[in-house]
Amino acid sequence: MNPQPGDQIPEWVMPSVSAEKMRTMAALLRDPNPLHWDRDAVAALPMGLGHRTINQGPLGLSYMVNMLHAWAGPECIKRIRMTFPQVVLDGDTVIARGTVTANAEIAGQPVLECTIWLEHEERGHLLEGTAWIDASGFV
Amino acid sequence: MSSSHQIPPVAEIEALRGHTFKGGQYRIEPWENFLLTGCTGAELMGNALAHPIALFHMPIMGAGTSIAEMFALGQAESDLSIKIESYDWEFLQSLRESVTYDIAASITSAERHTNTQGQTYDRIQFCFEVSQGQQLVARSTITWHYTRNTL
Repeated sequence: MNPQPGDQIPEWVMPSVSAEKMRTMAALLRDPNPLHWDRDAVAALPMGLGHRTINQGPLGLSYMVNMLHAWAGPECIKRIRMTFPQVVLDGDTVIARGTVTANAEIAGQPVLECTIWLEHEERGHLLEGTAWIDASGFV
Repeated sequence: MSSSHQIPPVAEIEALRGHTFKGGQYRIEPWENFLLTGCTGAELMGNALAHPIALFHMPIMGAGTSIAEMFALGQAESDLSIKIESYDWEFLQSLRESVTYDIAASITSAERHTNTQGQTYDRIQFCFEVSQGQQLVARSTITWHYTRNTL
């Protein structure tokens, strides 16, 4: 049976965001931004973040993708749009969560529109967005 | 303590709209997908499927540009001065390892704004299209804010 608006998506947990994985990502992305691999550069910012590197945006987004794949299958995502109101830091425990909000269509195909977010216990929503999921996989 | 930078003329920022990147091709190698997927904390998806996160870097590199060049085009004050507004990824098909994709890219929007604290930033939007043959496979829209004199 298809999920319905109001249904919650099973959460996906990243127990500890890894500075090592940020370094690997920086190399793969050819991303020169030291915020992802130099704790001193982050500490020097006037943001009070301490000596912790900042996760790449796509990595935070990937936790949302992993939640959606675990729920609806590896080819379920038709569109995903994320905003980044707060940074994700190395050592953070974060939880990807979401709710089905509407039945919709993309190019004539039925999709589930979902509100999704990445949550930190103290800091609240670090990422917020919308995903459109292939509804046919649930039948 | 912030150091003062010269804010680029607004005309130079607005002139970026319509900028087209060279374009080219990109193939996601299996080793690359292995490392990339591992960084996300997920298992490999199997069936040669690439983790969708590849839609960030793959079209940037395939378009013949780089994150560093994208920072430079907007005259970023430093690597630290960029803020992400949004990433919008559309998948008409799944991405796969060992497939050669064609990439086209351009800057679709470039505007100056002032935030609620009165700080100036330039909002620049990049659009990357990934195709195979004549078929559009995926689209990545990256919107960054180039903050000015906030660090």
